[in-house]
Amino acid sequence: MKKVVLASVLIASFAWCSGVPAATDPLYQKECASCHFGYQPALLNKASWEKVMGSLSEHFGTDASLGKEDSQAILSYLVRNAGNGKITTGNDTTRITLSAYFKRKHREVPLKQILQKEVGSLSNCMACHTTADKGSYSERYIVIPNYGRWE
Amino acid sequence: MKRLLFVVGLGFAGLHAGGFNAPMQAYMQELTLEAKSVDGAFSGFDAKRGESLFTTKHIGKKGTEVSCTTCHTANLKNNGQNSNTNKSILPLAPSANAQRLTDVKEVQKWLRRNFNDVFAREGTAQEKGDVLSYIITQ
Repeated sequence: MKKVVLASVLIASFAWCSGVPAATDPLYQKECASCHFGYQPALLNKASWEKVMGSLSEHFGTDASLGKEDSQAILSYLVRNAGNGKITTGNDTTRITLSAYFKRKHREVPLKQILQKEVGSLSNCMACHTTADKGSYSERYIVIPNYGRWE
Repeated sequence: MKRLLFVVGLGFAGLHAGGFNAPMQAYMQELTLEAKSVDGAFSGFDAKRGESLFTTKHIGKKGTEVSCTTCHTANLKNNGQNSNTNKSILPLAPSANAQRLTDVKEVQKWLRRNFNDVFAREGTAQEKGDVLSYIITQ
């Protein structure tokens, strides 16, 4: 039993190294993840989330507006769980892909692997990070469509 | 007995085709009153006009040509696909997805968003009623 506990703790802490807490809020999942991957709150800082939620009627070229009540509830969830460490340092924009950390982590990915139709863009986390929905972005769970594991 | 079955059968057919639940019927009534107040000659919603709104292309919010079918496809019983994110969209036809057109708040939200996305403006009461009248028959 002790071994099992130890193993679980090890696995959990290992996953944590390249992971963020999962996005579990049901309203966030319903309203945001119905159109796109449910990006975890820790991937942007508070200032970024305030910008995102303050401009939903102009959301990356589409109208994603919400009623005031739902919008405020989601903003408060996002701000409560916003990132403040290496992932978001220096990025106050609305785009996760503009953080220096994110860019460094993805700079070796060849453009043709990103632009292929199974992926499309770097905002499509789940296309390659098979456990992204659980908040785990560990290299060992990367499978790039048509190219295989990340070595 | 046969006659009773026939009547019950008609009732079910009516439910399926008529479609709207009580809150949605109230919303359609609201749209009717609004459409009448804008146009005195308004004589009811029309699924055919709705289909045409749904399938024709317009210059959308992004400045490019889109229609509702760009994401929802021309067969509303099929899955669609979000043209921006590639995420799958469940069927819009109530006959294929019983959740559709049952929640007024949801319906209002998507009409507001998607008219803006496809027409680069909000829909009028008549347009919304026409489109809903079309979708409910699918």
